[in-house]
Amino acid sequence: MKAHTFLSTTSFGSLVVAAFVVGSVSAASAADPVVADPNAKVNYSGTVSVLTKFGLQQLSPFFVEVAREYEKLHPGVKVELIQESDDSVKGKTKALVASNSLPDVYFTWTGSWGENFVRGNRAVDLTPVIGPDTEWGKTLATAAVSAFQYNGKLYGIPLYLDAKFMGYNKDLFEKAGVAEPKTFEDLLGACAALEESGVTPISFGNKEGWPGVHYAGQLLAYNVPQATLEKDFVPATAEFSDPGYVASLTQFKQLVDECTDGSGTNGSSYASALQQFSSGKSAMYYQEIIEFDQATVEGALKREDFGFFKLPVPKDAKGDVDAIEGAPEGYMINSASENIPLAIDFMRFATSAENGKVLSAPPYGQPSATVGGYSADTMNPAVVEGLKAIANSSYLMPWLDTANPPRVAAAWLSGLQALVGGSMTPEEVMERIKEAAASSK
Amino acid sequence: MVTVMKHAQKGGAVTIGFAGSGRSESDRLGPVAGILSFRWVLAAFVLILWFVYYPIIDNFVVSTKSQDIFTGETAFIGLDNYRRLQGDPVVRTAIVNNVLYAVISVVFQVFGAFVLASLIEGLAEERSRRFWRAVYFVPSAISITVTGLLFYFIYQPNIGLLDSALTQVGLADWSRAWLGEEGTAIYAIIAMSQWQGFGYSTLLFAIAIQKIPRELYDAAIMDGAGTWRRLWNITFPLTREMTGLMVIVTITGAFQVFNEVMVMTGGGPNNSSQVLGTWLYQQGFIENDFGYGAAIASVIFAITLVTGFAQLWYTKRRRVEL
Repeated sequence: MKAHTFLSTTSFGSLVVAAFVVGSVSAASAADPVVADPNAKVNYSGTVSVLTKFGLQQLSPFFVEVAREYEKLHPGVKVELIQESDDSVKGKTKALVASNSLPDVYFTWTGSWGENFVRGNRAVDLTPVIGPDTEWGKTLATAAVSAFQYNGKLYGIPLYLDAKFMGYNKDLFEKAGVAEPKTFEDLLGACAALEESGVTPISFGNKEGWPGVHYAGQLLAYNVPQATLEKDFVPATAEFSDPGYVASLTQFKQLVDECTDGSGTNGSSYASALQQFSSGKSAMYYQEIIEFDQATVEGALKREDFGFFKLPVPKDAKGDVDAIEGAPEGYMINSASENIPLAIDFMRFATSAENGKVLSAPPYGQPSATVGGYSADTMNPAVVEGLKAIANSSYLMPWLDTANPPRVAAAWLSGLQALVGGSMTPEEVMERIKEAAASSK
Repeated sequence: MVTVMKHAQKGGAVTIGFAGSGRSESDRLGPVAGILSFRWVLAAFVLILWFVYYPIIDNFVVSTKSQDIFTGETAFIGLDNYRRLQGDPVVRTAIVNNVLYAVISVVFQVFGAFVLASLIEGLAEERSRRFWRAVYFVPSAISITVTGLLFYFIYQPNIGLLDSALTQVGLADWSRAWLGEEGTAIYAIIAMSQWQGFGYSTLLFAIAIQKIPRELYDAAIMDGAGTWRRLWNITFPLTREMTGLMVIVTITGAFQVFNEVMVMTGGGPNNSSQVLGTWLYQQGFIENDFGYGAAIASVIFAITLVTGFAQLWYTKRRRVEL
């Protein structure tokens, strides 16, 4: 009865992996809160495992080099790197949490993403070693450290700063007779002129869903008061009833229809859109400051032709027009780590001013969160200017998909894809968000 | 003279007896022999129990709980997750997509592959047969991730191979963002899957056809049976077991599909290409709701189990033996 054996294997096989993971969930339990001891002696032996978000070919050498240098300094230590990409780190991290196998050091975003680890007592309270008055804390940008503050305690080690800007091709703008737009309405006008000149005004790939969420996030910061936004990030108080939400989505839809390839963008990836921009086939690309160097790395777009501006503010915006969407990204220390002092010491080394300068300069172009961790002489001038723009911003609007609880984040992702594709109106998308928020309470 | 002979026992155990002694060891030991022979399969039995059956039961247990993977807190919620399944519009979309996947795959990868295998095996020269088997098998040798990326570029709006080809033949109006539109995304993924799986099914059918005695065809030809008559009256009945197996494999495969969708659309746009497997992943690993994910896994299990048994029962009834 081979067929029976086969049937058993195939039918049951699909469940095995999922069931093992969910099965082990019950075994996983939160530990007691762990607080870092500033006087702990570091035992320089054993292994430090590190989960990074630097899986991309261009970024991965950074941590490889840092690990090599650290191992050279401390021959008894082995650094084990697990390098993931932006998308894969999400699933990987949750699988590691579910199976109680988080590495000693792991990547985290700010907002509800990081809060999950704190809530589950899976992150070490670093306040005694990274607080503003500590030796290490003084070497890091205070605002960046504060972004990882939960319940008045500090849990994250910021590695670099990030924010979203509209990158543009100066040459294509000049050919189309377009100036840098100052208002949202100017931007729509610029799109029409660029379209007429024969280029795609904005390359946009929304296959992943979050690129659309980034546009919406910045528009929300402009149209919805900060206090309302922050109240809506919290499941217990979320309402999403401010009219600024629908206004923002209406503007986003207008932007997609008038400046991009429209509904087809749901079939293109974020990386394809970047490629389209760097090869000179589109005039603009909404990108993170940490991608400025990637946009000009080896395409037709030269560094001197690259310019950027903040997504322009729409008329009658009722939110904070000086806000910018972005947040520092960093690392947490696993509270179950067997060698917490060593894990902290490794991150102290990784965030040194010297390593910060390497990280901030090409080819990485990730503006370090370390004070003095960058030198304008070695950096892409656009990144330097971008850092100034971040410093001048009144509020850092966190990414919607990491600030909101997972179910609400998923509703934003699918809802905005539906809006781009034309199957939902802004009002319908907001209804979906409200339903998701209600079920997350 | 005493000769040593081996003979197989019930349960697969092999014992050594003495010819001419009149009684084998198993006869002497009676029921103990059955227990002793069980030890040979014990290791495999424990492994199957632990790695196959325990997770299934545990999966069901998890599906009756609400869990927070970060805090480890769990609460028993009975069948709430199953009630939620009934009202979840994405589950309905996912089931429809899985059924579409299964139906289209059965048409192409079972019946289409059967016809193609018959045509290939009907070729006169062995060299030609080998050549065509290899041609059709090549896509199956490519990893699903690579295939997914390949088709991602083929389906790219405007610049992709498919849209360019449509424009070249004057069908520019048909060009679209195949993976970006809610109405076409799942069909684009299914089409890719057929391209990849077709050759493998063809090869399996070719093997089944090769086992049919040549004399049957010779006799049918002498009786004046044409190509289609031989196909219908000889090839089809004598490959029925393989067809049955392929139907099971294809349908269960269609309900377990995951990689293709993850690589090409991630279930989007707007969840339009979600299948049960990707929605399970989304619930567990993105939305942290492992209990609900486990309930979806139970549904997949039930569907594939029922399908498999139904097909086996049907194949057994219609089995043709030489």
